[in-house]
Amino acid sequence: MNHFFTVEGILYFGAISLSIIGLFGLLVSKNLFRLLLSLVLFEAGANLVLVLSGFIRNGIAPIFLDGNSGAVMNDPVPQALVLTAIVIGVGVQALALSLIFRVKKHYGSMDMRTIRSKLEREIAENAGVTPPGSNEAPAPVKLIEGENS
Amino acid sequence: MTLLDHLFIVVFSCLIAISVVRNLPIVDKLAPVLYGLILIMLVRMASVAYGGDAYLSSFSLDLLGFKMHWQFTALSWYFAIITLVAALASAVFMSGDWGRQYREGGGNYGMLQLALIVNVFSMILLLGSGDLLSLFIGWEFVSWASFLMMVLSPSKLAKKSAVKYIVYAMTGAMALMVAIVMIYAVNDSLEFEQISIVFAQMSGSSQVALVLLLFVAFAIKMGLLPFHLWQAVAYAETPGPGAAFLGAISSRMGMFTIVLVIVQFIGLGGLKSVGTSFANMQTLLAWVAALTTIIPTYIALQQHDAKRLLAWHGVGQGGYMLLGIIMFDSIGSAGGLMHVLNHASYQAALFMTVVAVMYRTGTSDLNKLGGLVTQMPLTFLVMLIGIIGLAGLPPMNGFVSKWLVYRSLLVNGQPLLFVAAVLGTLGTILSVYKLIHNTFLGQLRLEHQNVREVPWSMLVPMLGLSVIVFITGFMPGLILPWIASVQESVGLPVIAHHLGGIEYAKGGLDMIWVSGILFYGFGVGALIFYFLGGKSKRVHQYDNYAGGHFLTSDVRYHYSNNFYPGLMHLIGTWYRGSFQWLENSIVSVMSFFSVFFENIYRAKQPVMLLLIGVVLALLALYRNLGVGA
Amino acid sequence: MNSLVLLMVLPLFAAFIIPVVAKFSSKLALFTGPVVLCINLLLIMSAWVKVGSGAHAIFLGGFLPPVGIVFYIDHFSLLFSGLIASMVLIVWPWDAKESRLYSLYMLLSAASFGLALSADLFNLYVFYELLAVATYGIIAKQKNSSATAASLRYLFISSAGSVMLLLGIAIIYTLTGTLNIAHLATMTENLHGFAGLSAFALIAIGAGVKAEMFPVNSWVAEVYGTIPRQLSALLAGLISKLAVVLIIKMLLMVFQVQAAFDLLLVVGMLGVISGEMVAWRAKDMIRMLSFSSIAHLGVLFIALSIGGSKGLWLAIAIMLHHLLVKGGLFLMADRFSGHFDKLKGLAHHSPMSAAVFLVFILSLLGVPPLPGFWIKMALVMNLAELGGGLYYLAIGVILLATIIETAYMFNLVQTMYLKADADSTPLNKRYSASYTFAKLFALLLLVSMVFVSPISKRLKDIANHSANPQIYIHTVLPARYLGEKS
Repeated sequence: MNHFFTVEGILYFGAISLSIIGLFGLLVSKNLFRLLLSLVLFEAGANLVLVLSGFIRNGIAPIFLDGNSGAVMNDPVPQALVLTAIVIGVGVQALALSLIFRVKKHYGSMDMRTIRSKLEREIAENAGVTPPGSNEAPAPVKLIEGENS
Repeated sequence: MTLLDHLFIVVFSCLIAISVVRNLPIVDKLAPVLYGLILIMLVRMASVAYGGDAYLSSFSLDLLGFKMHWQFTALSWYFAIITLVAALASAVFMSGDWGRQYREGGGNYGMLQLALIVNVFSMILLLGSGDLLSLFIGWEFVSWASFLMMVLSPSKLAKKSAVKYIVYAMTGAMALMVAIVMIYAVNDSLEFEQISIVFAQMSGSSQVALVLLLFVAFAIKMGLLPFHLWQAVAYAETPGPGAAFLGAISSRMGMFTIVLVIVQFIGLGGLKSVGTSFANMQTLLAWVAALTTIIPTYIALQQHDAKRLLAWHGVGQGGYMLLGIIMFDSIGSAGGLMHVLNHASYQAALFMTVVAVMYRTGTSDLNKLGGLVTQMPLTFLVMLIGIIGLAGLPPMNGFVSKWLVYRSLLVNGQPLLFVAAVLGTLGTILSVYKLIHNTFLGQLRLEHQNVREVPWSMLVPMLGLSVIVFITGFMPGLILPWIASVQESVGLPVIAHHLGGIEYAKGGLDMIWVSGILFYGFGVGALIFYFLGGKSKRVHQYDNYAGGHFLTSDVRYHYSNNFYPGLMHLIGTWYRGSFQWLENSIVSVMSFFSVFFENIYRAKQPVMLLLIGVVLALLALYRNLGVGA
Repeated sequence: MNSLVLLMVLPLFAAFIIPVVAKFSSKLALFTGPVVLCINLLLIMSAWVKVGSGAHAIFLGGFLPPVGIVFYIDHFSLLFSGLIASMVLIVWPWDAKESRLYSLYMLLSAASFGLALSADLFNLYVFYELLAVATYGIIAKQKNSSATAASLRYLFISSAGSVMLLLGIAIIYTLTGTLNIAHLATMTENLHGFAGLSAFALIAIGAGVKAEMFPVNSWVAEVYGTIPRQLSALLAGLISKLAVVLIIKMLLMVFQVQAAFDLLLVVGMLGVISGEMVAWRAKDMIRMLSFSSIAHLGVLFIALSIGGSKGLWLAIAIMLHHLLVKGGLFLMADRFSGHFDKLKGLAHHSPMSAAVFLVFILSLLGVPPLPGFWIKMALVMNLAELGGGLYYLAIGVILLATIIETAYMFNLVQTMYLKADADSTPLNKRYSASYTFAKLFALLLLVSMVFVSPISKRLKDIANHSANPQIYIHTVLPARYLGEKS
């Protein structure tokens, strides 16, 4: 149990828990905004895990000062990766937020399920067909007339 | 350049020529000439049908590492000559008056001409295939060409049945592809010889799978049970001469491949080695054939549309061909092979008579016809000859081939199959009688009083075909050398023949004698009837009375609705549509799965699918590898 | 050769200046994009000739591999770059009046070029995300609000997929300490355990969202159903393939193991069967095409599961074929009305479009002698040579799918050839530029039918070259890393 209660262990635990909370939110939330927040949590958790993978206790910041200082550096690559992921993530979240506003304006609802069924209906209407999974009876299998075999 | 190359070039040029001029009036004159030309090319290759060597094409292709080449054996030649005669007859039939009427009725005549030549081209390509890949390509070509012919009819039903056909055909093609893949996977070669080599190396279950796959592929084309549902409606709905052509030869391409692949390369030994001692593959195929002779024939009996009736017989007659060839002896296989030609000749003639009747009366409904013999005597004659052939009675050619098949069944000790075949023939006789009776005999309908004989452009091919039906029945020795060469080339025992028929240790057949005696009998009968019989008086059709009442022309005494009520009462309960039910259930099962998948795609929370996908993938990896690995 | 960086830089630059240019002249802004793409096409052509049968690596940022940014250039990546440039040109929004849309298209092309050329996971991830953002933006920019909702739903699953991708990359990094694909290729033994392969699974499924992979493709019908057909042509034809390119790079260079192949095989089969089944029930053109597209991406995964250069050349062939056919079909659908019943009489109305449609679907079904047949044939034969239960099952699935496909495609064809009735409006536009391109695609398809042999040979050469990790390693890595390997 000892190694679990190290700083890394606790940090990992927290990060993974964050991810799982986010994932759980993505699965069970209905509200669009909550879904977005869950996504944010999920990404944050994943990013934390990533940063931790390059973390070394007592390591120094990965900056080349005199070329060869001898001290152990934290790994720079995960940090760069995470930095990029965060930037992209923020962009995507902002975009999602604006989309949520527009969706809310159009459908008058923030419920993913309502939106999905309305969307399905709209697609079907555009195409001039009945939406999939509508409750009408299945089309009867048509025999070719006059067949009897 | 061999003769075969010339043949391919000529056929291809004809295809181009007709596709260029198909909408010009000249196509009427040109098309028969072109088919004649191809026929001449075939005749130049006739040596192959008299024991000569097979022709090899100097063309070959090497695509993606698959080699393709083409050859013409006696078997190919035999089927090709039937194809070309049928095409020539159809082309003559549709040129001129029939074509004019078709165009005026809104039909696309140019496309019909094109479809015919496309069919001929693809069949020649298939018949000339020299390895499994060219066979497959030809096979697909033939399927799509028939589809092209079938969709030409503007009716909705025609299009529906054409789609049904193409689904069946694709199923067959895919089965064939799997079989080819199985063969290819062993030795990386697509030569025909590989079939027998690979077959010998295979395990028992693979052998069963291979034979079944091949057979399913070919049986679908032939319309053998249980894949018979597509054929009749699709052929019957094809525009006139197209139906004659397709009905005559198209589905026999399945017979060609059965002979080429199953008979030649798997052979009797191969079929017998597969399965248990109680029921080996040969038994299975024989019973499929026997059931095919019975069931579709009795469905035909039920039809009241003349084209459908004939088309259902087309399905049923395929059973005789398979039944003959599957016996693997000299007379049985000769009968099966010969029946291909015989069937093509009378089936084309019969379809043409029905189309001729439709041309004049506008209907092929047997309940709305009757008494046309006085108006269309020559068409009647053709139909009479045709149905005698179809029913397998002397002196027409259908008798010869069916006799050979019966004989072979008896000699091989298969009395049950024999009974089945006879049962099929019984149904055939009953239903062809219905056909000719309801069309030509009995009372002429008032609305048909002005109907005349069809023009010569239609009569000539019909009469020509009926001459073939008679001559090949009277002197089967004209055809038998070809059959013998085919047997020799595919490794079957060769039949001993002479001009009048066959020599066989357990009782030969001489059709010249049979026909002679038959005509002698007829002659005596005629003498008695005309010279010794009582007085006769010629009366008008409507000069009739029944039960003491005079009948006027509006009272129908011609009995056509509800034909054979007694028989139908007896066997009516057997028409249960079981195969249709089977087909529908397959569609229903598919619908079930399709709805299932559709609901997966409608997930409310798509992320759920992502998560499930990831978890399943990781679990599968974990089970495969374990953490430690 | 280093000028090829411009492929990625020019569109990116254009994306930023277009809004500025648009302030002065909207015409100029409209033409900036196509001009940039044309320049790119020229660059690609000259590079194609220069690179010959070899390969070339471009090092950016002043670091040498495995640290710096590397672009790897060979015929495979150039082929895709060419496709990107041409495809974006074809679907360029000429009639849109919004300069931001042009920017987004430029961004999309920049990201696509980057995705095609990059040789390290880090950059691949960045470009993948950039591509995703550009895609959401373009979809959401469409004037109808259902597209917004579809885009949002797409965004959720796609972002979650990106996180998976990121996790996969993180695992790989933890195991090996590098993200350079060439460097990874030298230490594959670290990655062939459970952890490494689970990284591959995460990457495949994460990128699979864009590649229309089976369980994560529920967005396809929604998005394609709401956006213009040209855009669907772009997404289905090209963007989905770029995600596959990412998977291909990982698979061929690093994860040439049976477990990875099996994973792709299984998702491929499920995609094929589910896509065809749902397409079978579809009652309108777009839905049918969407699900048929899913099925064909499934075939692509099955081809990839063959592995090695054989799998790669088949995959390239399938991708090119699918790009032509599905791209062409979506472009054609621009003029078609939705419901099948409305298409009655199309063949009489416009025999040409019916004929073009037929050419496409016959090739899709694999009817000889069209290219589709040769691809299907080669695929099936290669699967059979591998043997084994799963591969035989895959053959069965592919052929069963063909039968289902025939059923629904020809149901549609027979409708087209029926007589028009009162409420059929087969063509809703008299003219559409997309239709011209669709005809061009059909023509290309027919021409390639004649040149099946040389084309396949060429593709095999490309695949042989690109599927060889050794060439990749030697081109990218400096010599000292090669010494370390042993």
